[in-house]
Amino acid sequence: MERVLRTDGSASGTVVTIAGAAGAGKTSVVGAALAARPAGLRVLAARCDPLSTPRPLGPIRDVVAGIDGPASAETLLGAEADFAATVSTTPSVLVVDDAQWIDAASVEVLRFLVRRIERIPVVVVVAYRDVPIGHALLALLGDVARMESTERLTLPPLSAEAVRALVGERVGEHGVDHQAIRDLTGGNPFFVAEIARHPGQVLPTTVRDAVLSSTAGLAPAEVDALQLIATAPDVLDNRLLPYLGLDVPLLRRLESTGLLVRSPRGVAFRHELARLAVASSIEPGVDALLHLRVLDAWEQVGAGSDAVLTHHAAAGGDVERTRRYAILAAADATAAGAHTEAVAFLSLALEHLDDATAQRATLLEQLSTEQYMVSRLPAALTSIDEALRIRELLGDRDGVSVAHDRRAVVEYYSAQRREAERHADAAAAASAGPEALASAHATRAYLAYRHLDVDEARAIADAQRDRPTTGAADLRLAITEAGADLVEGRASARTRLVDAANAALSRSFDEVATTAYSNLSAFDVEHRRLDDAEAVLATSIPMTVDLDIALCRQWQTGMRSRLHLLRGRWAASAEDAAAVLDDQGAPLTAVWPHIVAALLAIRTGADTTRVEAHLASAEQIARDLDESLVTLALRSAVAEGVWHGRADDARLDDVARRLADAEQRPGTQWAVGDLRVWLARTGRGDGGPTAGLPEPYRLELDGAHADAARAWRDLGAPYDAAVAEVHARDAATAAAGLARLDALDVPATAARARAMLTARGLRALPSRPRPGTLANPSGLTNRQLDVARLVAQGLTNAELATALYISAKTADHHVSAILAKLGLSSRREIVRNAASLGLGRPGEMRDVAHVDGALGHA
Amino acid sequence: MHTFIIERNVPGASQLSHEDLVTIARTSNLAVESLGLPYEWVTTYVAGDKLYCLHRTDEPETVREHARRGGFPADLVAEVVAEFGPQTAGEVAA
Repeated sequence: MERVLRTDGSASGTVVTIAGAAGAGKTSVVGAALAARPAGLRVLAARCDPLSTPRPLGPIRDVVAGIDGPASAETLLGAEADFAATVSTTPSVLVVDDAQWIDAASVEVLRFLVRRIERIPVVVVVAYRDVPIGHALLALLGDVARMESTERLTLPPLSAEAVRALVGERVGEHGVDHQAIRDLTGGNPFFVAEIARHPGQVLPTTVRDAVLSSTAGLAPAEVDALQLIATAPDVLDNRLLPYLGLDVPLLRRLESTGLLVRSPRGVAFRHELARLAVASSIEPGVDALLHLRVLDAWEQVGAGSDAVLTHHAAAGGDVERTRRYAILAAADATAAGAHTEAVAFLSLALEHLDDATAQRATLLEQLSTEQYMVSRLPAALTSIDEALRIRELLGDRDGVSVAHDRRAVVEYYSAQRREAERHADAAAAASAGPEALASAHATRAYLAYRHLDVDEARAIADAQRDRPTTGAADLRLAITEAGADLVEGRASARTRLVDAANAALSRSFDEVATTAYSNLSAFDVEHRRLDDAEAVLATSIPMTVDLDIALCRQWQTGMRSRLHLLRGRWAASAEDAAAVLDDQGAPLTAVWPHIVAALLAIRTGADTTRVEAHLASAEQIARDLDESLVTLALRSAVAEGVWHGRADDARLDDVARRLADAEQRPGTQWAVGDLRVWLARTGRGDGGPTAGLPEPYRLELDGAHADAARAWRDLGAPYDAAVAEVHARDAATAAAGLARLDALDVPATAARARAMLTARGLRALPSRPRPGTLANPSGLTNRQLDVARLVAQGLTNAELATALYISAKTADHHVSAILAKLGLSSRREIVRNAASLGLGRPGEMRDVAHVDGALGHA
Repeated sequence: MHTFIIERNVPGASQLSHEDLVTIARTSNLAVESLGLPYEWVTTYVAGDKLYCLHRTDEPETVREHARRGGFPADLVAEVVAEFGPQTAGEVAA
């Protein structure tokens, strides 16, 4: 601890995590280290309170208020960057104590800080006890675990020898051995200290008794006061003391128990275990009364946080005030972007509001939105459904329409197309006012466009054109119309989608803006404009992160997994697919990652037991989603699996019908081509006309495999190129294709191709590469790709460090790893081979006008 | 009982309305009553961005406790050791 804290702050910060059970001495270790810190190092304390639902951004606000005065960090939007800037002005130690009680929003702020820690003069100390699976803190701990320069301490229980050192010989004199104390306390330093403070007493039977023995001799009124203090999470605020009748002589007598300490904020227990022991001694029924006294006092002070007031009102069993403060706390959490806490407060408020009132419906709608924001879609549906029934009961037509519309959107994210369409239609038919009606039609048009019913989508948009609205509906319709044009290959559509996104951003319709990018990136990948897709995603994924739009972030990350797959970047592709699937978000966003994960397993031959699970999940989503592009891509993946030797598959039985249906729709030509080529490769070719297909598919189906491969390479799709080549009739092309498959590091595909060519009687095949001799970009992770692109532009380690918020040492480490994976010996070779490695200029969105010609594929 | 001067930094103190002063006085009185110790708030002067308070009690720590309970700042707490004025000039020097 001391070593790490003695950074002079000029070079780089670090993160220290301290894990240990309650009473293990975390706070003492931090305190000792802080006492020994070098002069000039500021200490910032971020306290986390044991509220049943934490204060959103509570610890962050405390720290900022301590530096800046109040009224900062009101919302999460931008809070990460503001907070990082604020704390790094001066070399500081930021202590996050009792982090097991932290709120999810504060975790995000700290993650932002920690990701930049190597470049700012801040030591972040996180002390915590074990937290359950799914706890918000785990995301932060995960980040820390993956970092290069961190210290992770775990405080073990005391040994019997250490117990002897702590309690001295006094206890031993009375015939109690140190091993017995260790067994009783589990080696917990706090408990051992409690026992040591009562020399000569018979060893208490429980640690609770050890704590409570300190209160022996207190008068009933004093015990009552102690219990009152124990009802306050963390600290009983100083300003409450006049209203609770706790005068100075009384506090002095209580402090003589050694259980309490006076902190700048108020009166606190020296240790959470002491508070719990005293709280557990409160008689049933009295507990609620004590909470109500604290609540009354807070109301008289008039300055309590709504989260704290909610805590006391709920514990006090006061229905009316629980509802009132939970609603206020929820509004605060929503404004702060703290969705998890907003869900908790809204749920609590609703528990205490059972009438079918407009207020209940409003809260249910808010709850539905917040549940959607944390990817709890089934719960979001239940909430909006109840709101809908209340609106119907109240005869509120606008409310009915809005609820149906909201439900339609969540159903679509759940991949339930039919339900989504039904509710969107109901929203439009609810005789609602112009705003609600416009939104309903915008949803209907979007659903039609996503189904590639572009004429229907345009008809709905046309009908709305003369009825402009002030809401997001006109922007959503503009995006739908641009999307429909993009589907049909119209040149100006890409620019218009970007324009619509910018317009939406300028009007704070963040989700509308990121949806525009979700559609742009999806069709760029689908229509194999891979460079454009990469540029779009490099801009738009960080945007979804900044704006905290989880659904679009997951969708676009899924799109990037598909992009990496097409470019043969297996590691980055797998990383993105896994990231989306691990999030367990909306089914809509999971379907592509499932397809990608199945294909990665099929091609590499690793993890093949998971192939069927991924295909089955994708099939289930695809069936309900009913979109040609997904349906066909899934069948392509199944056919590719069959080509690789998987058993014949019933999912291929309906391909003729699926192809016929897709051919009726615009924008499906690549999906149709891909499926037809894979069917042909597995001997299921229909020999149908090839005229309308994109060039590489047409060439292969017409027997011009070498030309097809060249077309694929021009598009930047090396795997498709190599697979086309191994199906060529001439031996040289096929052998070259096999060599390329070997180089692409897809052992299962290469093995299958080798067997196929051997069976065809081809001699002089390239020899099987020895394991570990391969070097190519397929193994680079997303982070390494970021670094490699910058190296390809000639950046030095120092410049890399600045661009990526890492230290020069870490940058050098990344470059070494990249060189090893690429089998290159110097960064100059990366620059020279940038184009062939697919490390072209990245990052910024290029002028979209230049791709107009490329849309001629359509 | 000793007398203490307390300096409190309150940005915009000079702009406090009479209503504000009434509220502050009530909070302060309540804090005084709640101490359970001998304590007298003598008076307070508002000047610039500061309040200068005159309190009487036994210990400076009690002055700080009063500030904590009232939610007031107490940037400087100093004991008054002497009081003199124009009339002092006429007194015999010790």
